[in-house]
Amino acid sequence: MNKNKSSYIVFASRVLMGAGQLLSKQWIKGMLYLTLFGAYLVYMVFAGVKDMIGFFTLGTVKGDAWLGIQGDDSIIMLLRGILMFFITGMFVMVHLSNVRDAKMTASRLNAGKELPGFLQAVKTYVDKKFYVIALVLPVIGVLVFNVLPIVFMILIAFTNYGGDIVPPELVDWIGLGNFKTVLGLTEIKGTFFKILGWNFVWAMVATAVNYFGGLGLALLLNKKCVKGKAFWRMFPILAYAVPGFITLLGFKFMFSYGGPINYYITMQGHHAIGFLDIDAGWTARIIGIAVNAWITIPTSMLLATGILSNMNADLYDAASIDGATKWKQFTKITLPFVIFSTTPVLISSFTGNFNNFGIFYFLRGGLYNEGYFLASDTDLLINWLYNLSIDNNYYGIGAAISLIIFIITSIFSLQVYVRSDAYKKEDTYR
Amino acid sequence: MAKWKKWLAVALCMGLTVSLTGCGEKQKASDETIVIRILENDTAKKEGYLDALLQAFNEAYKDKGIQAVDANMEEYTDLAANGPYGYGPDVLYQANDKLMTYAEDKHILPIDIEKLDCYAVTPEVAWDAFKINIDGATYTCGIPVNIQEPMLFYRLDKLPEDWETTWDKDNNKVADFLENWNDLYAYSKYLRDNDTSQNKNAQYGFMSSMNNLYLNGEFLLSYGAYVFGSNSDGTLNAADIGFSAGDSAKGLMAMKQMAALMNEGCIDDTITMNRYEKLADGTYFCAVSTPDTYSLFIEKLALTYESEGLTAKAAEEKAKQNLMMVELPGKLPADGDLTKDSASMSDSDWVDTVVMGGVNGYGISSYTKYRDACLEFVNFATSYEMIQTRMNLLGIAPTRSDVASESGGVTDMIFSSLAEGRIYLMPSIKAVDQIWVPTHTLMGDVAKDPYRKAAGETEKYTSLDDMLAALKKVDKDIYDAVFTLKK
Repeated sequence: MNKNKSSYIVFASRVLMGAGQLLSKQWIKGMLYLTLFGAYLVYMVFAGVKDMIGFFTLGTVKGDAWLGIQGDDSIIMLLRGILMFFITGMFVMVHLSNVRDAKMTASRLNAGKELPGFLQAVKTYVDKKFYVIALVLPVIGVLVFNVLPIVFMILIAFTNYGGDIVPPELVDWIGLGNFKTVLGLTEIKGTFFKILGWNFVWAMVATAVNYFGGLGLALLLNKKCVKGKAFWRMFPILAYAVPGFITLLGFKFMFSYGGPINYYITMQGHHAIGFLDIDAGWTARIIGIAVNAWITIPTSMLLATGILSNMNADLYDAASIDGATKWKQFTKITLPFVIFSTTPVLISSFTGNFNNFGIFYFLRGGLYNEGYFLASDTDLLINWLYNLSIDNNYYGIGAAISLIIFIITSIFSLQVYVRSDAYKKEDTYR
Repeated sequence: MAKWKKWLAVALCMGLTVSLTGCGEKQKASDETIVIRILENDTAKKEGYLDALLQAFNEAYKDKGIQAVDANMEEYTDLAANGPYGYGPDVLYQANDKLMTYAEDKHILPIDIEKLDCYAVTPEVAWDAFKINIDGATYTCGIPVNIQEPMLFYRLDKLPEDWETTWDKDNNKVADFLENWNDLYAYSKYLRDNDTSQNKNAQYGFMSSMNNLYLNGEFLLSYGAYVFGSNSDGTLNAADIGFSAGDSAKGLMAMKQMAALMNEGCIDDTITMNRYEKLADGTYFCAVSTPDTYSLFIEKLALTYESEGLTAKAAEEKAKQNLMMVELPGKLPADGDLTKDSASMSDSDWVDTVVMGGVNGYGISSYTKYRDACLEFVNFATSYEMIQTRMNLLGIAPTRSDVASESGGVTDMIFSSLAEGRIYLMPSIKAVDQIWVPTHTLMGDVAKDPYRKAAGETEKYTSLDDMLAALKKVDKDIYDAVFTLKK
C-alpha cells in the first residue's frame, strides 16, 4: 500500500471517527466508531449543547410554581453540565483510541501485513488488554457515583448557592467569593481560625489517645498472665458494637444535670456540675475526647491484637538475653513494628478524627459561644460546616469550608505518610 | 460454583428491575380515580385520626372519583427539596412557621379561603398566621386547624389541703398560684422550704427546662419583647429583632428568680425529659408542656396508680380525673419581681402573660396535579365534624370557634387567648429558624446563674443592665445569623 493512502486513513479518522477504518475496509469497527460519533452528535444536538450553556449560565428563567412556570433549576443544570463534560471527555478518549487504531492500521498496511478481521481483533484485544474490559464498568461507576458528586461539591464552592438563593431562585457563579467570605469577613475569619486551632488539637490528642489506648489494651490482654482473654476482649467489642449515636446520646444523658453522674454527686451533698453546658469549655472538650476513646479504642485494640500476633517472639527472647528491660523492649521492638504496620491506619484515623462530626454534635449541639459565629467552643470545622450549610442553608460557604478542610487534611496526611517508615522503608519487615 | 453465580446474577437483575419498576409516576388507583397523598403528623396517625379522616373523605367522595391516601412520608418531610421533583405530598399538615417558609418560595399554593366552610368561623388572627406578602399582594397559603401553646400540667390531689383558705385570696375558687406568677413563686418557695428530705430534692413547685424559648417565652413576650418587627406595609421585618425590646430584661430577671426555686435540671433538657415521671410521682407540683403531650402525662400517672394496685383501666380513669391541664398563670409582675406579695399589688402592678404559640394547619403543595381535589380535601378536613373528631381523638384546641365554644373548658380558653392576643404566634418567615439557638443559649445561661454562687463561680446576671446587654447580644446573634452571609 502506498504511503499516501495510509496517511489518508489517519487523516480521515481524525476528521470523522471510524472513517479511516472504513477506508481500510474494517467495516464493523468503522461502523462502531461511526455509530459512537453519531450518538455523541445526537446527544450534543438534543441535550449536550444546552447542558453546556446551562453549565455556564446556571439558568436564565426563574420558576414560579404558582404560575406553573417550571423555570430553570440551577443545581440540576450544574449537574447536567458536569455530566456533559464527562461524556465529552469519554468521547475524546474514544476518538483518540480511534486515531491510534487508524495509525496502527496504516503502519500494518505500510508494512504489507494483513489486517485482522473484526472478531480476531476483538479476541486479541480481550487477550492482551483484559484489564481494560474488566475495569471499564467499575470506572464508569466510580466516575458517576464518586467523582461526579465530588466535582459537584467543589463547583458549588464557587457559586452563591444557599441562604435565600435556593431553587426556584437562580444560582450564579461567584468565583472565589465564598473563600473571600470565609477568610476575609471578620466574624467568619475569627471563628474559622479558632475552630481550626481546636480542631488540630482535638485530632492529634484524640488519635493519640485512641491509638495508644487500643495498643495498651491489646498488650494488656496479650499478657500470658491474663486469664480468660476472649472474655475480657468481649467488653470493648460490645462497646464498639453499640451504634455510635446511641452511645453518644447515652453519654449526653449521663453527663446532664439529671443524669446518673450528677445524681451521685448531689446525693453526696455536693452541687451538680454542668459538664456540657455553656461554661463547660475544656471540661466538655475532655469529655469529648474520653467519649471518643470509648467508641474507637476497641477498633485500635482489635487492629493492634492482630499485629501483635504476628510479632516474632524470638526478638523478645534475644532482647531479654541482652538485658533489655520491658520498657526498652516496648519502645525498641513493639512500638516501631506496630507503628510501621499501622501508619496508613493512623493517618486515616487522624483524618477521621479531624472530621469527627458526631461527638460534639450529639454531646453538645445547639449552643453558640460568645466570640464564635454560629458555633460553640467545642465545635469542629465539620460541625461548623453543618451549622452553616444544613442548619442555615449556606451551601456555597459550606462547600468552600469543605474544600479547605480537604486541602488541610490531604496535605497533612500526605506529608506524614511520605515521611513515614511505612512509605520510605516498605521492605523493612518483609 | 458457576451455577450459583449465574443464579445470583439473575436474582440481582430481577431485584433491580423490580425496584426500578417502583420508580413510577404518581399513584393512580385507576384511570378514573384521582389519588391525592395526605401528610399528617405522627400523633394523628398513631391515635387513628388519619385513618378516620381518610375513611370519611373517601366515603364521601367515592362518587366524585377522588381518593385520599396516607402520603406515608416522614412527618417533617422537606417539600422544598422533594416537591419540585414530584415526590412530596399533595396536602400537608404542619405548624404555621414551617408551612409559611414553603410559601415564601411558592412551594405551597395560595388559597381562596372565602370559599371554605371554615372561613367564617375561624378568627382573623388564625388566618393571619398563614398570610404572606409577595410582590405587594397578600396571599393566604394555609388553612388553620388547631392552636398550640405551652400549658401547665398539675395533679389535682397535690393541691394543698388549705388552698381555699390560704391560697385563694380573691375567693374565686381558683388557686391564686394558677392565676398569677407571684403566687406560683410563693407556693413553689413554700414547697422548697418545707422539703424535709435528706438531700432536699423531693418536693418542687413550678418546673420547666428554662432553656426552651417556646415553653418559657412568656418571660420575654409579656414584657414587650417580640421576635420580628413589622414593616410599614405590615409584613415582617427580619432585620428588626426585638428580644431586648420593652421591659424584657425585667422578665428575664423574673425567670432567674423562678429558676432559683428549681434545681440544675432547669438549665438543660433534664426537666423536659423527666417531667412526666416526676409529676406522676409527686416530686414536681406542676410542669410546663404542650397539649399534645397530655397522653404522656396520663400514661405515667396511670402507671403510678397501677403500681399502687389499681387495674389498668381504673388507673387510667383516675389519672384522667386527677391530671389538670390549664393555661399558664395570666399575670406577671410588671417590675419582674416575683418575690412581692401579690396581696400588696394593684392592677397596674401586673402585665398580662403572653405565651409563644403556633397555629397548625393544612397547606396544598404547588406541585400537586390535582389542585381542586386537594381543595375539596382540606375543606372536608376542616369541616365541623372532622375538627370535632380531631379534638376528641387528639385533644387539640381547634381554631373553629363553633367547635371550641361547644366544647368549652380549656379548649375555649385557648381559643379566647388566641383571639385576644395572649398567644404570640411564631412568625411565619424563614428567618425564625435562627432564633432558637441564641435564645436557648442565653436562657440556659440565665437559669444557671442562681446555681453559680454555690458552685464557687461568680454570677453573670445580677442587674437589669446585665440582662439587657445579654438580650441585645441575642438580637445581634440572630441578626448576624440571618444577614452576615447575605452580605
